[in-house]
Amino acid sequence: MPQGFDFTLQRRTLLQGFLGAGAVYASPVLWAQSKAPAAADARLVVLFLRGAYDGLSALVPHGDANYYRLRSSIAIPKPDGSEQSAIKLDNMFGLHPAMAALLPLWQQGVLTALPCAGSPDPTRSHFDAQHHWEIGVPGKSGSGDGWMNALAAQRAAAAASASGPGKALAVGVGEANPLILAGSAPVQLVPKGQAATRQGALGDARTRDAVMKLYSGQDKLSEAFRAGAESRMQTAQTLSADMADTGMAAQEMQAANNGAGNSKGLLLDAQHLATLMRQDRRLRLGFLSAGGWDTHANQGGVTGALAQNLGNLAATLVQLRKDFSQPNDMVVVCSEFGRTSAENGTRGTDHGHGNALWLMGNQVQGGRAHGRWEGLANGNLHEGRDLPVHHDFRAVLAQVLRHSQGVGTAELDRLFPGYAWDAQLDGLMRS
Amino acid sequence: MGQEAQRSAFSGALPSLFTGAERERDARRKAKDNKGTDTARGEDGLKRFDFAAPPAPEHFSRAMVQQSAAWRLQSASHPELEAPLLARMTEFWFNHLNVYVGKGAVRPFVGHYAVHVARAHALGKFEDLLLASAKHPAMLLYLDQARSVATGSRGPQGSTRGLNENYARELMELHTLGVDGGYSQNDVREMARVLTGWTVDPGDKSGFRFVARLHDAGRKTVLGQQYPNSFLGSGVGEGEDAIRRLARHPNTAKRVCLRLAQFFVADQPAPALVQTLSQTFLSTQGDIRQVMRALVESADFWHPDNRLFKTPMDYACSALAAVDSVSDTPDWRRWVLAVGFLDAAGQPLHGWQTPDGYKFDAATWLVPEALTRRADFALTLARQADTAEFLLPYMSAATRASVAQERPAMRTGLLLASPDFMYK
Repeated sequence: MPQGFDFTLQRRTLLQGFLGAGAVYASPVLWAQSKAPAAADARLVVLFLRGAYDGLSALVPHGDANYYRLRSSIAIPKPDGSEQSAIKLDNMFGLHPAMAALLPLWQQGVLTALPCAGSPDPTRSHFDAQHHWEIGVPGKSGSGDGWMNALAAQRAAAAASASGPGKALAVGVGEANPLILAGSAPVQLVPKGQAATRQGALGDARTRDAVMKLYSGQDKLSEAFRAGAESRMQTAQTLSADMADTGMAAQEMQAANNGAGNSKGLLLDAQHLATLMRQDRRLRLGFLSAGGWDTHANQGGVTGALAQNLGNLAATLVQLRKDFSQPNDMVVVCSEFGRTSAENGTRGTDHGHGNALWLMGNQVQGGRAHGRWEGLANGNLHEGRDLPVHHDFRAVLAQVLRHSQGVGTAELDRLFPGYAWDAQLDGLMRS
Repeated sequence: MGQEAQRSAFSGALPSLFTGAERERDARRKAKDNKGTDTARGEDGLKRFDFAAPPAPEHFSRAMVQQSAAWRLQSASHPELEAPLLARMTEFWFNHLNVYVGKGAVRPFVGHYAVHVARAHALGKFEDLLLASAKHPAMLLYLDQARSVATGSRGPQGSTRGLNENYARELMELHTLGVDGGYSQNDVREMARVLTGWTVDPGDKSGFRFVARLHDAGRKTVLGQQYPNSFLGSGVGEGEDAIRRLARHPNTAKRVCLRLAQFFVADQPAPALVQTLSQTFLSTQGDIRQVMRALVESADFWHPDNRLFKTPMDYACSALAAVDSVSDTPDWRRWVLAVGFLDAAGQPLHGWQTPDGYKFDAATWLVPEALTRRADFALTLARQADTAEFLLPYMSAATRASVAQERPAMRTGLLLASPDFMYK
């Protein structure tokens, strides 16, 4: 794979260098000066793009002529320095122009992507594939605990003295009960948008007492209710205090008003997640998700529906980088599978297999793509239509967890039963 | 137009919904041109659930969605207006054949779909339900079927167009056979080819049109069945036949009956019950009424161990039913509350993005933070209601005792917020 990187500063790159908030927070100098926390203090954020996002539009293989052959109307044009083309990362890959805000992070070496990662299970069902990702066992359809919940349980056991028993180590924003966080370890779950900032009826002490009396029993429902009430009060307090501090309220109102779109909501969810994890250092695992990536028709190219989503994703990542830039913090961006390499008959893409997976953090060997890439020639495609999965998502996560969180081999085997360590990825993380 | 007529506009003639949507686009374009901004999205004093006047053209779709929301909440909470079994079945089928309000042009049609697909066939033949869903504009637009045409067809300005697999896949994976139901990627593609040319017709009262010019007349094989065949020839009949075959498949019977048993009996229903229901399904050619009769006649349905946790929608509607029966302030404020609660609780009406529909098991809904939202809703909802004495016999002694200690004004809210009220 060509590894050369073009440092020619384009006009817009310069602008981003000066204006991009990400650049300031991404500076390696900044974190090098602060005292490095132990790996046990490392934080991991997983951002799941539900619906199978089109990685070939985000990490554009502009160096592969087949890309343009397969996608006559939706390909992102070769980098030409204009805003209507891919942003060159190296001789093979480029960024979607809507993701320009990520270029500084790539250049600073804290952002990378693997173009052909995913689940080895070949299902093209969103729901099965998401299930496999979330429980960490490809091919298993039955019930199971989420791997982030299992990781929270392991971390809690390891640090039993430091964090009191029964305190959540993991927080999820925006979904009722994502499978990835389901399991025996306590988890803080925060609803989408502004609802997270309100204490509601429980904010009134007298009402709260009356309701809590109803739930004073030792049954599962009562215990869940009491845990929920406590967590909700804390969440609302933390978020509204932070809003007051940062004058975020107006911005939140804005985001909530434009409401329906998940895109805007994702940025707000990321802000909430970051605030909660900053204010409570026991929260070390965070989960976020965004829907709307199932682009079967008119997905667009440089502009259009997908470009809009990618722009919001980039803004969210810049925001996350701001809040998760300590030495061992890591952000993972993934999706259940990729989409067909060729566009379909309605200027969209159907369900595929392998996909680009993104990693962001100071521990990552960023600034270049990782893993195998054999191009889009017909003989290299899975079933003649999709990117292959060269790297099991669990092998990628294993690298991340071992290097940034110090998770041991035995623990990894329990989180991802049956996965194999992938030595081809040994250069993925800084050692 | 009177209030009743307005309220039912969402379920009226399909061409009028297309016309309304068209006018909405024009009105929004004009407003944008005049002001340079998209004012139609801003605050405009539009009162939610106020159906006294016809909707402003630029809010047509929103009005249709609200009318539909009001109708669904009312049907599911007023047994004197709608038979409870019919209301529950309507909710079940809408969810099983889910469409999402936020997808492109689907918005004005979701309510019509609920009434004329989910409700109309709720206790009829499953294959008729499935076909009605397949031909309804809401579904045709939601899963992109309306755009899927024979590969190489000529589109506007001479562009070529082709196949889209979206609907064909979800039809097999979710609506009928199930993900392990024995179909392959090739079957998905062949099914998509069979359905080419199925699209929307804004002028027709059915909203559906088959365009022969856009249909793939070549040879196709779906689950071993060849199309076109001498019996049917080529055309719309291929798709109708393929859909009916899927509807009658034993794996479909299994999947649909499992989901019915989960919805009405237990999160993990006994395999024997599912088998009994499947047998009924197959021996009656998918007669849903007969399947439901078998379900209600089963011992499992009545067994006290089979207890279901309410979904937010179940919870909202049962609370509305309780409060409406002891209160006479206008309904629409409660609908506003209920709609807001469902949003915050993770089950917005017409709001599930993906075609799998909402889950309805306790593992999904019995989650700490979400429970406190129920208490919020209950206490706000019951603020002006008289004490719902009739609920007391259904409550545990502990709940009755602790409610009795509180101010009368809070008692109904507490009854609705109690652990006892969380289960069906």
